Amino acid sequence: MHVEAASSTSSARVLARMSAEGPTSVAFAHDRLIEAVALRRDREAFAELFNYYAPRLKAWLIKSGATAAAAEDFAQDAMLTLWRKADLFDARKARAATWIFTIARNRRLDMLRRDARPLPTPEIDLIDSQTPQPDDILAASQDAERVRDALSRLKADQVEVLRLAFFMDSPHSEIAQRLDLPLGTVKSRIRNAMIKLRLILEASAGAPR
Amino acid sequence: MNSHRNPSEERLLAYAAGALSPPEAVVVAAHLALRPANEAWVRRLQTVGGKFLEEAVPAALSDDALAHALARIETDAGEVKLPAPLNDMPELPEPLRRYALGPWRWIGPGVRARDVHAPRDGACRVILLKIDPGRETPRHTHAGVELTCVLSGAYATETERFDVGDLEEADQEVLHQPRVVSDIPCLCVVALDGEIQLDGWLGRLMQPFVRL
Repeated sequence: MHVEAASSTSSARVLARMSAEGPTSVAFAHDRLIEAVALRRDREAFAELFNYYAPRLKAWLIKSGATAAAAEDFAQDAMLTLWRKADLFDARKARAATWIFTIARNRRLDMLRRDARPLPTPEIDLIDSQTPQPDDILAASQDAERVRDALSRLKADQVEVLRLAFFMDSPHSEIAQRLDLPLGTVKSRIRNAMIKLRLILEASAGAPR
Repeated sequence: MNSHRNPSEERLLAYAAGALSPPEAVVVAAHLALRPANEAWVRRLQTVGGKFLEEAVPAALSDDALAHALARIETDAGEVKLPAPLNDMPELPEPLRRYALGPWRWIGPGVRARDVHAPRDGACRVILLKIDPGRETPRHTHAGVELTCVLSGAYATETERFDVGDLEEADQEVLHQPRVVSDIPCLCVVALDGEIQLDGWLGRLMQPFVRL
């Protein structure tokens, strides 16, 4: 179910207008929606974000091998975490999609804990612990642009293995199985894709490591 | 990039995707806190992850999914887990400060270890290892992957040297006898999978007593 187009709320209209202006504007619109959740506990804004991201989060988990029911629980939990932590969102540090990705990633890490003992463990959270630097505003939106550009310059099969590596639990063997390729081929394809991605992104960032 | 002292690209990718086992993720998090360039790279990889999330073909939700979510936020007290208290080692990098720590245990001459109460993954767990200058750990091989990040001091193996922030990935094939080469004790955080197999007559003698 994909209801954002059918919705007639004001935030949906904002989103529809921005959507017509291109994908970057959608990302900016999502930033504003998260800020609305943080500032006003805006339920309409939350619903818009839910309608966009929950089906994608569910798709991610299904791809990683979860049942449809478990994947939907995961999406629900991740979106509830977004509600709770919206005031930690800082568009200067990361765009909406990246931030929601990291929330979901931390939840996924929680799920991978086979140790049932409840421990008061902190979440490993690079983005929230980062102090924003003056040039971060530019950096976060430019990063999103550069990533889009870099991915468009990789070969299709390289993008495919990277995508699978992000969304599967034990990437290499599962990817090899899914693509019906030898394990060694998958490993070298991922490595080559990473090297190329690094070259493109670091050249465009103009920052030596 | 030296592949021995930085995590492999695959490991950084798995970390960014949340697919590392929790003990390994703890050690990589410590490494990233000490290596801003790698932390920046991981943040960039998470931008890639966000991009892939946006591009994912949506899976249909159950009909009442949104209603259910809205009901949950209505009744949600909004409680965010209180951060765990800081532990007693201010010298640790930030990602390690909120894990409870076990007592220091004597492992061998000049070698001490304490458990980091981070989530385990089967037999894989996180420890801090402190080795005095000039000391060696008993020569050993590993039953499983060992991931080590140097937090202070430095050690050298037969072939390489590891300084603050360096990460070493060792597996079964590596016969390992690190020696501390700094003039201060070497403190490391280690994700250890399986029991360490001590090598040599002293090792075999110590094995029953030393549980790392």
